[in-house]
Amino acid sequence: MSCNHHPDDSTLLSYGAGSLPDALAMVVACHIAACSHCRGKIADAEQIGLGLMEQEPVQSMSERSREWMLAMLDEPCEESMPEPQLAVGDDSDGDIPAPLQPLIGQWFSELHWRTMAPGMKQFILPASQGKLRLLKIAPGTFMPSHGHSGSELTLVLKGSYSDELGRFSAGDVADVDPDMNHQPVADTHEGCICLIATDGPLRFKGLVPRLLQPFFQL
Amino acid sequence: MVHLRLVETSMEFKPDQAAQKQDFRQVLVDLAKSRDKKLFMQLYDYFAPRLKSFLVRKGANEELAEELVQETLLSVWRKTSSYDPAKATASTWIFRIARNLWIDRLRKEKPDMLSPLNSYPEVGYTPSMAACDAGRLKDALDALPQQQAQLVYKVYYEGKSHREIAEDMDMPIGSVKSGLRLAFDKLRVRIGGEP
Repeated sequence: MSCNHHPDDSTLLSYGAGSLPDALAMVVACHIAACSHCRGKIADAEQIGLGLMEQEPVQSMSERSREWMLAMLDEPCEESMPEPQLAVGDDSDGDIPAPLQPLIGQWFSELHWRTMAPGMKQFILPASQGKLRLLKIAPGTFMPSHGHSGSELTLVLKGSYSDELGRFSAGDVADVDPDMNHQPVADTHEGCICLIATDGPLRFKGLVPRLLQPFFQL
Repeated sequence: MVHLRLVETSMEFKPDQAAQKQDFRQVLVDLAKSRDKKLFMQLYDYFAPRLKSFLVRKGANEELAEELVQETLLSVWRKTSSYDPAKATASTWIFRIARNLWIDRLRKEKPDMLSPLNSYPEVGYTPSMAACDAGRLKDALDALPQQQAQLVYKVYYEGKSHREIAEDMDMPIGSVKSGLRLAFDKLRVRIGGEP
């Protein structure tokens, strides 16, 4: 993967702080699997969080918490603790990025894609904050021109597309300023698969996309 | 280095701020082998009150904060063997566990959703090993224009997204992002991040 376009620093800051809506956080997770540049910045954001935590006035724990803690140390570990399980850059099978594999499996070809419009298919992923989807665009297809009312992060997973901001290939992230309208077009013969997270509805210019919007949960 | 050694061997050594904030990295490594509860409780006594205040600032009530502190430190106790001192300082490692548990808790009511296990994979980077100097960071924060400081506050303490901040502060998302970008740049320089 090339990684010529990265998430905005403000996005990496929020990711490190744990404040990015999870749909957007997933896009960042898939990007940093291949981008050490952004991993370094996230480490800095975590350091800042830690520094902020350490300069807080401490709040003492209630009286018996120490005792309870000691008692718990002997208990057998009954459930697995939340722990990041996936190693970055781990060469697992499949063309789906490792962070997504526990959710949807290994291969794009095995997903039940839903057709949204000629040349456009999508697969919606569960997210508690924001919307997360995979979008497959056939070569030469234009997306309807749209703006945003919130943040939008797009990671190219296969192929490439171009829009007013430039050309985006596999590994690249578009961290689009919401005030900007753009119209991506898949520009290679193999078509393009993107992972797209939004945390506010898209704003389409054309009438038909606006009417169709509710049906496709855009 | 020489100075440190002098402090360590000084007969009149009094525990001060620096001594209190000892090298917990070594403590974690030792714990993995010795399973010494007394040693663990030293770690507990240092981190529990700090984690609690961090979680309360994030919006947890007193009870939930304490519950998550216990959960975080229990998890530290159980996972010491997977701690790699070459990859993270003890505080960074513990901070990550607490942050992920907090995000996980926020999502508990929404089953079948993404979890931080998915969106926070263990990344193999080596962060700057220089301990973050709280004094320098505070100076850097104090030196930020008020609006940028407020943006940073909302991200770290209120856990707000860019869109929520834009609504709160009645400004365009683009301005929220550029303000955070500028603040991040200045803070990173202070904590020794690469430009």
